[in-house]
Formats: sequence, C-alpha cells, structure tokens
Amino acid sequence: MLEIKDLRKRFGETVALDGVSLSARPGEVIGFVGANGAGKTTAMRIAMGVLAADAGEVVYNGSPLGASQRRRFGYMPEERGLYPKMKTGEQVAYFGELHGMSRAEAKRATAELLAQLDLTDRAGDHVQELSLGNQQRVQLAVSLVHRPELLILDEPFSGLDPIAVDVMGTALKERAAGGVPVIFSSHQLELIERLCDSVAIISAGRIIAAGSVEELKARETRRLRLRVATAEDLSGRLPGTVTRDGEDYLVEGGDDQEVLRIAADAGPVSHFAYDQPTIAEIFREAVAQ
Amino acid sequence: MSTQNSETSNLRGLWLVASREIRVRGLSRANLVSLAVTVLIVGVLAALPTLLSGEDTTRIGLAGEEAAAIERQLAPNEDYEVTVYGSVGEAERAVEDGEVEAAVAEGALYTENRVDTELRTVLDSAWRAASVQSGLEAAGLEPSEIEQALATEPLETVSLSEGGVSGPLDYFTGLIISIVMFFMLMMPVQYIAMGVVEEKSSRIVEILLTSLKPWQLLGGKVIGLGVVALVNLVAIIAVGLGVSAATGLLPDLPEGTAAAALSTMGWWILAFALYGTLAGGVGSLVSRQEEAGSVLAPITTALTIAYVGSIFLLNAPDSVLGRVLSLVPPFSAIAMPTRMSITAVPAWEVALSIGLLALSAVGALLLGALLYKRSVLHTGSRLKLREVLRRAA
Ligand SMILES: Nc1ncnc2c1ncn2[C@@H]1O[C@H](COP(=O)(O)OP(=O)(O)OP(=O)(O)O)[C@@H](O)[C@H]1O
Ligand SMILES: [Mg+2]
Repeated sequence: MLEIKDLRKRFGETVALDGVSLSARPGEVIGFVGANGAGKTTAMRIAMGVLAADAGEVVYNGSPLGASQRRRFGYMPEERGLYPKMKTGEQVAYFGELHGMSRAEAKRATAELLAQLDLTDRAGDHVQELSLGNQQRVQLAVSLVHRPELLILDEPFSGLDPIAVDVMGTALKERAAGGVPVIFSSHQLELIERLCDSVAIISAGRIIAAGSVEELKARETRRLRLRVATAEDLSGRLPGTVTRDGEDYLVEGGDDQEVLRIAADAGPVSHFAYDQPTIAEIFREAVAQ
Repeated sequence: MSTQNSETSNLRGLWLVASREIRVRGLSRANLVSLAVTVLIVGVLAALPTLLSGEDTTRIGLAGEEAAAIERQLAPNEDYEVTVYGSVGEAERAVEDGEVEAAVAEGALYTENRVDTELRTVLDSAWRAASVQSGLEAAGLEPSEIEQALATEPLETVSLSEGGVSGPLDYFTGLIISIVMFFMLMMPVQYIAMGVVEEKSSRIVEILLTSLKPWQLLGGKVIGLGVVALVNLVAIIAVGLGVSAATGLLPDLPEGTAAAALSTMGWWILAFALYGTLAGGVGSLVSRQEEAGSVLAPITTALTIAYVGSIFLLNAPDSVLGRVLSLVPPFSAIAMPTRMSITAVPAWEVALSIGLLALSAVGALLLGALLYKRSVLHTGSRLKLREVLRRAA
C-alpha cells in the first residue's frame, strides 16, 4: 500500500502542492484528475523520487519509500523519453535489466509485452521510426517490463487512438487484477469513469475530492429528471427546486412520489428517473466550489 | 546482506549503462567505419617504408684474399647476402650487372652509384676486422687467441639522470604520443557530453533515474565510452605494430617504445577520468545539442593548450614553461608523457605530476558527479555553473 502524506512543494513563488495526501491499495486503479497546472505531475514526480518535496512523505508498506523499492515501480513520465536510435525490443529489455531482471528474463518479458501491445513486428525498428502513438506504447512497455509492484503513469492515454486506448486500458486492468495499484492522471474523464475504482481530484495543489467512484456519485445532490407530455407549465406546482433542461424538468430536494403524482395527473409520463452524475460533472462541480 | 545486495546492484547498474554505451557507440556504423579507415591508413603507413625500400636483404660481392675472412665477419648479419667471386674482374662485372649492390675486393669498394652510409660502415668495419685478423695471424698469433682478443661486448648504456630507468626515445615518438593523447581525449569527451545532452533533451533521464543513481549513469557512460576509445586505440596500435613487425621494420623502433606505449595508456586513463567526468558534468548544464559545444569550450580549450604546449615542449623539454606544463593538471596529462619521451625527467617530477593529476581526477569525478546530479533533471534554460554550485543539495 502506498501512502502519500501531506506533500508540499513550491517553485519560487508558485505553490505547486499545498498538502496533498493520497493512498493506493493493492489492485486499486486510481484516476488522478485536475486542471492544467493543478499539481498532478509534481505529485507523481515526488512519489517517484525524481523531485524532492519541501515537506511531507511517501510511505510504502509502512516505511518511507526508498530507491530500492522505487526500482520495483513502473513509471511513465509526462514528458516521454526513449533512446531514439535504439531498437524497440532492445530498449524495452534494457529497462527490464536496469530494474534488476536477468538478461534472459528481460528478453522473455519484452517479447510477451510487445505481443500484448501489438508491437512484435516493430521490435527491430529504431524507436524514432515509430509513430507517436506507437512510441507511447513502447513507453508503456518500458514501465511494465519488469512486472512492477505499483504503477504511476502521467497521462498515459494522451495522443492515443481509440484502439490503442483499449489496448492500454486492458493492459492496465490486467495488472490491477494481479494486485498492482495503478495511479494514472488523465484529462479524459469518460476514460477515468470506465477504468477507475477511485478518483482523486486535485485543484491548485490540494485534493478537493477523493474516494471510490460510487461514493463520489452518491455524495452528489441527486437530481430527478421528468419528461411529461402536457401543454401546462408544471414548474410552479412541483415540490423542491425545479429547473428546465429543454422539455425536461429537473427536480432537486422534492418528494419524488409527489412529483410523479402531479406529473401523471397533468399528462402521460415518458421519463421519470434520477440522473447519474458523470465524473465530468462531479469534477466541474468540485472545481467550481 | 542487504548492503551486499545493493552493492552488487550498484555495480550491475554501472555495468549495464557502460555496456549499452559500448554496444550503441562502439558497434555503431559510424565508429566501425572510422575505425576501419584509421586502421587501414595506419597499416599502409606502417608498411610504406618497407614497400618503398623494396627488398630487405642487400647482396654483397666479395673477391680476393680477404674474401673468406670478410664473409665470416658478415655471416651473423642476416641482412646481407654474400657471394664470393673467383676474381676481382668477376666481382666488378657482378656489380655492373646489378647482381650485387656492392663488392669488396683487394681493399677497394666497387659500386655503381653512391653506397649509403649504413652499408659503408658495415663493410668498412668487416674489412677492418678481417685485415686486423690477418695482420695478427701474420704476426704469429693462433686464430683462437685472436678471436678471444677481438671478442668485445658492445657498449652498455648507463643513464646518469635522476629519472634513471626510462631513457628518452625521440622527437617522433613524442609527437605521436601528444597527437594520440589529444585525439583519444577530444573525441570521447565530446561523445560523453553529447550523450548526456541526448539523455537530457529526450527526457529519458527521468525514467533512468527511477532505477539508477546519477553517479551510475554518469560513471557508466564515462567508462563505456572510455572502453570504446581504448579498444579503438589498441586496435590502431596493434595494427601499426603488427604490420611493422610483419614487414621487419619493428627492430628499428627505439628501445623502450613498448614501455612508453604502456605508460602512455596509464596517463590516458588518468586524463580521461579527469576530462571525461568534467565533460559529463558540464554537459548536464544544457538541454540542447547546439549548446553542448559552448559549455564544453573550457574543457576543449584546456585540451588544446595541453596539446599545443606539448608540441612546443618537444623542442624545449627542460624549459621552465615545459616543466610547468608537465606538472600542472590538466595540461600535464599530455605534456608529461610527451616530455618523458624526449628527455629523462627526474623521478620526483614524474611522481609529483602523477599525484597532482590523480588528485585532480578525483576532484573532477566529484565535481562532475555533483554538477550532473544537480542539473540533469533541470530542463529548459541553460544553467549557470555558479547557480548550480551554490544550490543546496
Ligand atoms: N520545474 C518547475 N519550475 C517551476 N514551476 C513549476 C515546475 N514544475 C511545475 N511548476 C508549476 O507547478 C504547478 C503544478 O504543475 P504540474 O506540472 O504539477 O501540473 P499538472 O497538474 O501536471 O498540469 P497539466 O495537466 O498541465 O500536466 C504549475 O503552476 C507549474 O507552473
Ligand atoms: Mg502534468
């Protein structure tokens, strides 16, 4: 289990992190969401030991995280980096070895991974000859090759086509199913909704909301959506706060059974249900507060 | 147990980085092509003197009374092929026909054109020895007594300078040493800086540093590129010496050449540790290849001064400037081995020079690693040296 505790970091006058805490349990996929400049990259860099925090600590399985444990993590930095003139397969295997695998082990893991990421026939090509999306798959392979205990990925999905997104999503889900905590940042909120068990929302260096997807959705104020065929305007008669969304009525806080009775009296009801808030709505709301 | 583990993984990381450099740079097409071209040129240059001089045995004709005695004198020397003719006339004809290059008969040297000095000396002394021998025989001495009296050992060299053991070779060797040192430092130093900047500009350091420590990354690069440079150097020397040996030129090399080659290698290792780690350190200050040249300028300038100084020193090895250059690092790295090749340097000066160079190499190692550690993750603008040094760890 990884625990990030009260991280603080300033760059000159800019406060990048203002007390960020976050924890990841085995097998948990955590989406790290926040506006540009909110502090996601800074927090992930500190967790990976690439940047030093001004205050706060990162604890792994109960003790402060050190270099030897970080070597067993997988990391995909925001700014991608590969040796442009090294062959894809060699490069992935090299990183496997750097993370402590034997040469043979690294080769075997590389072959498996390249097959999973549809890169087998590019293994002999120089990285610079690959398309950007394929380079990104290689980058993922580099972070996965040593069978990491934990994954920290900074915007792994940016720049990928839908098929590549699926391939990468599957690869991550598979690792998580094997007990690996996965923390990744993204601006694609539908993706977060689809892949993540939990979400952490960061704004201006602070975590403003965190929890499982269900918890966050449940925490939202529930909104009843009503569609009824009638010429009459029911706004005044319905209980609670009523707003219009096109033809629909949105009701907050009123007794739902009363709403249904009034609507049924007025005309045929074609839609009567609570809206499911999306992560996008939760995010907008949280940031707006 | 855990310390042992981390130690082995420390060394393994260093070795992995070094071996990647060796694979990528050493086996790169550019390096292999340039090595092949250099080896070819060196091979041809080494073979050239023999190719130009043609055959390596000289044919001599002999005639007259002393012929047998002279032949005995020349016999141990394989460079001369001796033919004994029945009469002076036959010997003369053999010279005219080009069968032999020169003939000795009745106290005269017959030749078509000028005889070179070396041949002249050899024939002269053979003639003299033969004459002395027959003179002594005529005076009634036994041949065995004569042989005993004439058997003398060649002069032994006793060096009176403090340096003692290794005597000076010559100007040409000194020139070669300074040129080789200069190029074998200049090239890898630039590769190191370029490699550091490449890793920085491609942002790959960020992942590398999650599994390696900065000193492993810098040290591995310096060692790897050092090995590539050393292998290139050894290949060139081996081809040069091999071709010289095969063509029979080798015995003519000044005495102590092998020792000089070995000690030069030692100097090179110290110099490379000094210049290489500094180059890696300053390379990490910039993020773009275009800036690498300017940030490397102090190092390449120091190297150039050391080289030019060494060329000057060849003509004035014991001048004040020459002595200073050969003692003060970083110039001593090239200047001292060059100076040692041309003059007998007192042992204490050599020891002092090695001590200072080793000390500054250690200093460079620490400074280079510090610079590297502090600046390698900084992207964007070029860092100022002073800023980096002032920054807290
Ligand atoms: N090396 C740096 N020097 C100065 N300021 C920095 C540095 N790195 C980050 N910052 C600042 O810290 C804040 C947080 O940046 P960070 O990169 O962590 O944001 P982010 O959430 O990853 O944004 P994005 O979604 O755009 O990637 C920003 O205000 C940024 O300008
Ligand atoms: Mg970011």
